[in-house]
Amino acid sequence: MVKLSVVGMLRRSLVHRRARSFSALIAMTVSAGVATALLTLYADLDAKLHKEFRSFGANVVITAPPSSPFRPDALARVRQAAGPDALAAEFGYAVATTDTGTPVVVSGTDFAAVKLLDSWWQVDAWPDATAANGALIGQRAAQFVGNEHAVGLTYAGHSVTLQGVGRIKTGGDEDSRIYMPLAAFTSWTGVGPSVIEVQVPGGAARVEATMARLRQELPDMQVQPVRQLVEGESKIVDRTHALMYGAVLLIALTVAVSVLATLSASVLERRRDFALMKALGGSQGQLMGMFLLEALVLALAGVAAGFVVGSAAAWAISEENFHTATLPHISVLPLVFLLNVAIAAMAALLPLRVLRGLQPAALLKGE
Amino acid sequence: MFFRLLMESFLRQRRRKMLAGVAILLGTTAVTAMLALATTIGDRIHKELAVYGANIVVYPKADLLDVKVGGVDVKPASGGAYLEESDLEKLKGIFWANNITGVSPELRLNDQARPIDSNEASFPVSVVGMWFNHAFGSLKTGTSQLHPWWRLDGRWPLAEPDSNHWEVAVSSALAKKLNLQIGSKFLMRRLASLEGGGYTAAYVTGIVSTGDQTGMDVLVPLPVAQAIAGKENAVSRVEISARTKPEDAFARVDPDSLPPKQREIWYCRPYANSIAYQIREAIPGAQAEQVRRVEQSEGNVLSRISGLMWLISAAALLAAGFAVSAAMATAILERRGEIGLMRSLGASKGAIAFLFYTESGLLAIFAGTLGYLLGSGLAAWLGARIFAGDGGSAQAVLIPVLLPVVVALALVVAIAGSTPSIRAALRMEPSAILRADA
Repeated sequence: MVKLSVVGMLRRSLVHRRARSFSALIAMTVSAGVATALLTLYADLDAKLHKEFRSFGANVVITAPPSSPFRPDALARVRQAAGPDALAAEFGYAVATTDTGTPVVVSGTDFAAVKLLDSWWQVDAWPDATAANGALIGQRAAQFVGNEHAVGLTYAGHSVTLQGVGRIKTGGDEDSRIYMPLAAFTSWTGVGPSVIEVQVPGGAARVEATMARLRQELPDMQVQPVRQLVEGESKIVDRTHALMYGAVLLIALTVAVSVLATLSASVLERRRDFALMKALGGSQGQLMGMFLLEALVLALAGVAAGFVVGSAAAWAISEENFHTATLPHISVLPLVFLLNVAIAAMAALLPLRVLRGLQPAALLKGE
Repeated sequence: MFFRLLMESFLRQRRRKMLAGVAILLGTTAVTAMLALATTIGDRIHKELAVYGANIVVYPKADLLDVKVGGVDVKPASGGAYLEESDLEKLKGIFWANNITGVSPELRLNDQARPIDSNEASFPVSVVGMWFNHAFGSLKTGTSQLHPWWRLDGRWPLAEPDSNHWEVAVSSALAKKLNLQIGSKFLMRRLASLEGGGYTAAYVTGIVSTGDQTGMDVLVPLPVAQAIAGKENAVSRVEISARTKPEDAFARVDPDSLPPKQREIWYCRPYANSIAYQIREAIPGAQAEQVRRVEQSEGNVLSRISGLMWLISAAALLAAGFAVSAAMATAILERRGEIGLMRSLGASKGAIAFLFYTESGLLAIFAGTLGYLLGSGLAAWLGARIFAGDGGSAQAVLIPVLLPVVVALALVVAIAGSTPSIRAALRMEPSAILRADA
């Protein structure tokens, strides 16, 4: 008589009912795949959303009081304190008179930094970095300018002629202003930068911490959050987070229960095997171990396949929606594994309670 | 006979029916809840995004430039153009009037203030006339709705044109400068009676922290500001918050350059640009612009979040579809013996298939409807929990359109899921099935 090993029985059981094993494997793969995809997306969600909020521009404004202007290294120190992924731009403001005699706010700034920081500005052409007198003219300010290509401005008796390169349109205060390079602005008006706008990525906690560092770094300056941005961002990210959490639970539950139903049906179907083994002298514990082992093997295979499929799905969703890739997170693997094993164990053990009460003889007779 | 078989099958095999039924129920619940949330997420997030303030501003076309630096407005006092407050009623008549969720007009004046009990020199302040919880159609709107990030200690001032003092709210910077508390008074110059530069007492009902720590603002009800300026009905700027569709390439074209048909399509889409265009048409002399910082970024965030919800809904649909079809397949596979028996008793393949499909269909319709109700309830509960405290959060999420969609999906998935098993069972020899089972 051939001695039956556990491995041999397992292999026979899986191979013999190939269709059944295959459908159970697919069920486990789907549950692991869905769990992996959702958890991976969930893990990356906050970072991705915070990135979207960067398009709102600066969330911290540092203002120099009129009595003490910024020191020359202020911007560098802000950049250092805020971290490498923060954006910062400095602005100087002065009220000048145009050639038509209208007062207008002229602002000196670094166009390259502003272009990154204020992505909502609609500018038809940005001035060349090398052009010392290239200016952007607000769409309302443009109505009070004689010749846009040679804008004559006067400030405290000094006059300057700027070359308007493009118009800007924002629907905000910027529409009534003229922007020019900071170096030319300072040499014309003698006024240095008085405002640094900073965009700190991340949620309210990170903004708070950065502001504390900025206050320490620049003790005389006013460091203020743009309150609506900081509050709004945290609120929306939190709510989307909660929504996603609800969705993850809901979908995981659906898949888990369906998989449970499918798997336990397949165990129930094997009442006859159960009865036969029992009749041949298998103990309750041995049989339970056998069923469990089989379910665990399937669960494990499901996790391996599901992780690959789920990571691919998360990557596709992320690429489609956020236009940035989400790389597979190994960290979700233990949770997915635990979830799948729990489902498999439950699927194997639940029907056993039904089976335990059955008499092998009655079952084998077909009653 | 057919109905008896059907009845008996449902009555006798309750456990098996339960399994498949629960799978369908849960699947449709998840899908309904996700779809209901995905369809309402736009409105909900829009409400959240309202904290960013107005997305459309209206100002007089002939107005001078704003000359504002560091919170101080140095715009010349004379020569400014104004809109008429009474014209705001016309906003209710524009095509997308129902999408307007907030209106806040303001009249900004440069004025002088000084403390009440000393002879200190007066200093410049901005007087801003505003609406405070003003009834506008069915909306209660005004400053606090358009600036939800402002914090008010005390209450908003009331307009009492007859009394010998004005009720005002002051910005925190001004309160600090004059050491004002709620209930204290200071003096404000009356612009309308310039002879002698008469001062009137201002009674502080509230202190507003706007997040800007420099502005010397005195907020008064709009009629009071109009009285101070001696310009009845005047408004210098209107902020409008409107529900809009995120901007796409079509939204950016100039409507006047489009052929009439295209222009009509453009006009009838709730783009910020279209709404601004309609406001320009409705209010004479007005220039309406989208506030790009708010509008562009909002559109961005909105489309990302709702896109995410739709994709997750699709994933839920896929997972639920798979789960249901797997459960159906199992349920049929278990009943191969029955099929064999029926065939050996002379039932045609068509009749058996019909019986099984009817069973699946009935189950799908019943469990699907139940799942729809459960899912709608779940979506309402989740929505209310997550978006609590937004006022209209208790809104029902019973979307009737979803019912046929969800039930049809359940039907299709259940039938598609049972088909392979039914076909496989029918293909086998009845005797083989019966013997295998014996």
